[in-house]
Amino acid sequence: MEYTPLTEWILKHGISQQTLELFVIITILATIISISRYIFGSKTYGIYAPIILAISYSYTGFRYGLAITFVVIATTLLSYSILKRIRMHYITRIAINYCLLSIALVIALLVINKYGLGLENMANIPSLAVISIAALSDFFIKQFVQKSFRSSIAILFNTMVIASIGWYVITRDIITAYTINNLWIIPLLIILNIVIGQFKGLRVKDLFRFSSILQDKENVAK
Amino acid sequence: MLQSNRIKEVLGLNRRNQEYVRPYNPPSAKRIADNKILTKKLLSAEGISTPSVYKLIKNKKQLQFLDWESLPKSFVIKPNQGTGGNGIIVFYGKKKGENSWIRPNGTTMSQKDITLHIENILEGRFSMGDRSDIAIIEERVRTDPLLKQYSYKGVPDIRIICFNGVPIMAMTRIPTKRSNGTANLHSGAICTGLDISTGITTNSMQMNTKSIFSDTYEGIEYTTDLKVNKKLSGIQIPDWDEILTIALKCQKASKLGYIGVDIALDAEKGPVVFELNARPGLGIQVANQAGLRSRLERIKGLEINSIKHGIRVAKNLFGGEVEESIETVSGRKVVSITEKILLYNKKANLQKTVKASDKEIATAFMDTGIQSSRISVSLANRLGFIDTIKYFNSLNIPKKFDTLKDAQTYIDDNETLIKNEYIKRVAKIIEDGIIKIRPVIEVKTKISGDTQDIEMIITEDLEYLVVIGRNNLKGYLIDTSKTF
Repeated sequence: MEYTPLTEWILKHGISQQTLELFVIITILATIISISRYIFGSKTYGIYAPIILAISYSYTGFRYGLAITFVVIATTLLSYSILKRIRMHYITRIAINYCLLSIALVIALLVINKYGLGLENMANIPSLAVISIAALSDFFIKQFVQKSFRSSIAILFNTMVIASIGWYVITRDIITAYTINNLWIIPLLIILNIVIGQFKGLRVKDLFRFSSILQDKENVAK
Repeated sequence: MLQSNRIKEVLGLNRRNQEYVRPYNPPSAKRIADNKILTKKLLSAEGISTPSVYKLIKNKKQLQFLDWESLPKSFVIKPNQGTGGNGIIVFYGKKKGENSWIRPNGTTMSQKDITLHIENILEGRFSMGDRSDIAIIEERVRTDPLLKQYSYKGVPDIRIICFNGVPIMAMTRIPTKRSNGTANLHSGAICTGLDISTGITTNSMQMNTKSIFSDTYEGIEYTTDLKVNKKLSGIQIPDWDEILTIALKCQKASKLGYIGVDIALDAEKGPVVFELNARPGLGIQVANQAGLRSRLERIKGLEINSIKHGIRVAKNLFGGEVEESIETVSGRKVVSITEKILLYNKKANLQKTVKASDKEIATAFMDTGIQSSRISVSLANRLGFIDTIKYFNSLNIPKKFDTLKDAQTYIDDNETLIKNEYIKRVAKIIEDGIIKIRPVIEVKTKISGDTQDIEMIITEDLEYLVVIGRNNLKGYLIDTSKTF
């Protein structure tokens, strides 16, 4: 692969191609999240969770990533609905949840190993990526406790949609190859974020939320 | 179809944060609003009533030595820096013979359960930024009987958004079974818009449970969970002007330029302030079926001298939702006793398109005491009837008559002599105690959005340039309260 002089200089000075790709990818993912938040109104578990999830999916593969996410969320829902009936401190409840999550993931891997379920070779995926996906459990419970089940599910859905878009973008070789050779994209993304940061218009979600006012011309008081 | 001009009237989260919350709410003021104890101190210094505090628990040691016996039977526990009603638990009473307290939904919590909940508050589980927090044990508000009859347990509250010293929009939040007795809209409480000038409820909405990915609302007319469900519109909130005054006092004291004030009506204390909100939600627009942005823009830059001035401005600019409701029910429009109306030049009757110069705006007096409408001679001149008036004056009609009968006889004998296309007829009137005959012209007039051709008697200049009489007030209700 041929590099531009700047990229080549960076790679020759102690930064690996994979690290550089990852840094550039983070800027793209962060911008996707800011667009989805301020233009579309799609709330996620902060900026960190969808970035980690998208990167994890790129390591596990999308299908495997989704399967792990499903196991994590299903186990979290089940364990939390049981644990909340027992009087105990919050952190201990979360700690037990993580214990149950580890057991559930091991069982899931064993079941997949035995029956396949279209997820062969799952045991070979990096464990750090699996643990990163498991961290979703913490975000999910926090939202569940502080807001509601409904809002936690909605935010989980948004986070996964954004992470999936992120996964799609960062797994296109043409995009990663182009971006590490065109590092001017990073200042461009900064400018784009400044523009989004100044955006005062209605978010797409606001259009749905206020549709009854926007559609009914008779009802809006001037 | 979405109306593009309506989009400009609605306030979204982006604009709320950038144009109102950040510029008008300084961090020091936000810090106070986000802290219930500081808010209580600030408001009580201003003489504004808030729920009384029984105990403040700052650490586990204080919790360990809490004198449970000293607590009244009913109370509320809340985190000092909680958000969105999280961590708030209401207790209605103590279970006889047991160390447990009854919640609004009938379940009980033992002393151990409550202790654990308070520990969670202290750990910051319900607080902004997960910081350690203080637990407040405070008085439970006893809802005013009027609002209590619409609420499923819990305490309904009134949210008023104020900006630049003017109450902009208001709603009441009514707890339901779905909201588990809380006034939280996301949990399913009903939000009902309030007419800012009268404090009367207008439209009601409830969040749609079917849609989980977007906060959409559906219209609702009656309460949902009561034995006999009641109509939600047309409820008069008591002490409305006092409530608006309290909201503006809160704004002044807190130094928050853009604020949401939550007020509950206590059966004994009257209005008590629950909370000040530096980032008030936007659901109030749905409740009122009106946009905040257009209202805020009208207020921006206005110089408001006093609380009374702010209330007067709000009533004049944003009141009227109830009038629209009355119109829907009765089919009649509500007009003020003095109303700005539009009168068209005499040429406008002949033209298809009307130029701006062919219109006059005048303040009309709605007078049900007279039959026919009247127009001052100076305004008639401006509307292009100058030649008509000159012609009438040239007719040498006597300036006064002894009796109305004499005037009528004169009219009957001479009516055919009047030959002017703009004089529809002549009429006898009493002006300053003198019986006179005056010409009647037809003027195209727009009152409260309706255009009609009105026959008007030309008179000497009056206090009001136009007086609309009974003949032309059919189909209107006159609101005598608006006499500003």
